Amino acid sequence: MCADKCSSFDAVIVGSGVAGALIAKTIGLAGKSVLILEAGPEIPPDVNGYMQRFFLAAAKVPESPYPPELFTDPGKVNAGRATSVMLGPKSWKDPAQSYLIQTGPLPFGSTYERIGGGTSLHWLGTSLRFLPSDFKMQTLYKRFVDWPISYEDLDKDLDNSWYGKAEDEIGVSADAGEQQYLGIKFPKDYSYPMPKIPLSKVDKTISSKIAGLAIDGIPLNVRSTPAARNSRPFRQRRTCAGNTNCIPICPIQAKYDPTVTVNEALRTGNVKIMYRTVASEVTVGENGRISQINYLQYAEERGPETGRGCVTAKVFIIAANGIETPRLLLMSKNGGRTPNGVANRSQMVGRNLMDHPYLVTWGLMPDQESDRVFPYRGPLSTAGIEDLRDGKFRTERGAYRIEIGNEGWNFVVGGVGSGDDPGVTTVDFVNGLNISGLNNGGPNGGREALFGSSLVKRLNNRISRQFRLGFLIEQSPDNTNRVTLSDRHRDGLGLPRPQIAYNLSDYTKRGLAAAKQASDAIFRRLNAQSFTVTPSSSDPSSFEWTVDGKKTRLNFLGAGHIVGTYRMGTSNSNSVVNREQRSWDHPNLFLVGSGVFPTVATANPTLTIAALSLWAADTILKTDLK
Amino acid sequence: MTVFTRRTVLRGAAATTAVSAVVSVNATLPAEAADAATSMKLFVGLSSALTGIGEKKLAPDRDPLNVKQAYYDQARTYPEFDRLLRIYADNQSNPNKDEIAKIILDQSDIRYLARSVILAWYLGAWYEPSVLKNPPPPPISFKVISSTAYTQGWIWRVAQAHPMGYSEWAFGYWQDDPASLDTFIQ
Repeated sequence: MCADKCSSFDAVIVGSGVAGALIAKTIGLAGKSVLILEAGPEIPPDVNGYMQRFFLAAAKVPESPYPPELFTDPGKVNAGRATSVMLGPKSWKDPAQSYLIQTGPLPFGSTYERIGGGTSLHWLGTSLRFLPSDFKMQTLYKRFVDWPISYEDLDKDLDNSWYGKAEDEIGVSADAGEQQYLGIKFPKDYSYPMPKIPLSKVDKTISSKIAGLAIDGIPLNVRSTPAARNSRPFRQRRTCAGNTNCIPICPIQAKYDPTVTVNEALRTGNVKIMYRTVASEVTVGENGRISQINYLQYAEERGPETGRGCVTAKVFIIAANGIETPRLLLMSKNGGRTPNGVANRSQMVGRNLMDHPYLVTWGLMPDQESDRVFPYRGPLSTAGIEDLRDGKFRTERGAYRIEIGNEGWNFVVGGVGSGDDPGVTTVDFVNGLNISGLNNGGPNGGREALFGSSLVKRLNNRISRQFRLGFLIEQSPDNTNRVTLSDRHRDGLGLPRPQIAYNLSDYTKRGLAAAKQASDAIFRRLNAQSFTVTPSSSDPSSFEWTVDGKKTRLNFLGAGHIVGTYRMGTSNSNSVVNREQRSWDHPNLFLVGSGVFPTVATANPTLTIAALSLWAADTILKTDLK
Repeated sequence: MTVFTRRTVLRGAAATTAVSAVVSVNATLPAEAADAATSMKLFVGLSSALTGIGEKKLAPDRDPLNVKQAYYDQARTYPEFDRLLRIYADNQSNPNKDEIAKIILDQSDIRYLARSVILAWYLGAWYEPSVLKNPPPPPISFKVISSTAYTQGWIWRVAQAHPMGYSEWAFGYWQDDPASLDTFIQ
């Protein structure tokens, strides 16, 4: 398609998630014309339709409120995505069930959305800053690479803080004093836009019981987690009412999601968005600059292609997440002129795929009135233990942070199709089953089927003592963990689906094993009874490891953090983009999102994605569109 | 499937005294409406005995959400429903509701429908009695009855909490102990 037939803008952005939305708004506010190409359907006028899908879903997984349908042939869907229901032992490697073509040896467990507003519709809201040491893994620990930027680049002073601007944009509730640990500093007089979110009963109970406990010589503290949830009304959005449903959806939009920013961008009058429009090729001009992006369109999620087109711009920004961005770059062969794809002279596009392998442990608090923690109340998580995010141990193993859940055993029991807790525990006690592990109090440890007042009493006693911990493990960047294109499997539009090779290194596994040891120590201190199930050898996300001298099988989930596949670096030989997030190969191409992270560290990535995106938008306005 | 009516209840001799009281409440209604009201009242009483939740909580006098109707309509499609309701009617004068529930759940032919009814009230989801009778290895299949049924599930109140995605409280409530269990369910 010739460029002279394309529509033209100052900037074209692929993807309307948090990165694309913030850049569109910033550029649009500066009076420049912007077009967003969004692969998925439009932002609905309110959340009621999404809430209905959630309420009626048997599997209330993170993707459950959102299209496309959860159980469908991914080869027929026009804008498919990875979902949690695709990760079962029988489905994760089956292209008829899994959108991602997973070659293993371990499953990549994180998922995403392709809809207006992107994956951060179903995010938790955790808005932690990275630690200063996270940017210097090679310098401090002789591991991996340093970032080409430092913490100070993201937080210079009160007027020059990309972290601060990001916290303002998405609306973070936290206490700066409480967040000064492990080298995190704030400019003098800095305060978060909203006060911190108060601790839950679960948090307070754990906090008081672990006082004085040290792991690896490091004392543990429970801190309120910075979160993009309103602790008071903020920018025409309501205060959090503790719906305990941040994932998959906040019913009152007290949790920030990128539809907020997309709508603000559209209101500038300078930003347009095309939905159900899938970027299919990034075209390189004779001068090495990107000349246009071609796209395919559809009307129905499983219907035929309805149109094709192209757009030109002065600057192009790909903000399509750590899997779809490399997929688009790799698909862009330019008639054979770029056989390895666009922006890929380094041959590093798609490599170093990372996540936070996520270890979950769960149990019951002791059976006494003062130890009841009353879960299923408050935001999904309001606090964490952050003290183990850094230490000398990072020369040998991954660090981790600990997230405290307020949702009992909601997602840890049952599995797809069985519902989740408290449903699983209820069915156990009504029908004499023991899927939860809780129903063994009958004669000789047998199961009971209860009713009436005894049913009420038992369920109340057990559920009010449920808690769970989540450990987000730092994963090493390994260049064999990789997104490529499937040469056999295509989506509904005929585009090759992403193929994923994924494994955990010994460095990462040692981090996970250390987290398991920490969990055991915390459970002992809590005097809690563990119900964490030891995975079977048929669990594809498990591996054997020696913990405390014993062979133990450990497993992990995905944290939803897709990181590292177009890393930033210091040269075109060690990275895909420079410190500005600009392609080394094509000067008018920016790649944004957590794909640029050279290392994953331990913080949930969204706040850093937002900070880097605001910085990229500023660079674009000062150089490319000045 | 026959509709459970006032007349079928009256065929149970042992129920005469109890049902008389019900009939007197509905004495001014046309016969068919009175039949339906009688059946529903029995169903609510039965549900209260099985679930341990107060009748007025399950079916308040002013009941705009009226989830009981969906559960009743679902349950009555099963042939054993008449017997289930009749055994409750026969025993409803017993002040010990747990004893009534035990009598019902001791009957193998109605036990699993009774459990389906319990789960409907607790989870807003329908579990087929045949699946409960012969549960397969997990997953145990079910169907969410409606979005309203989900948000009215009693398990959340039994946990002294609220349905996920349906908080009825204000910012910060999670810092403190909840109200007593009785205020949720009785």
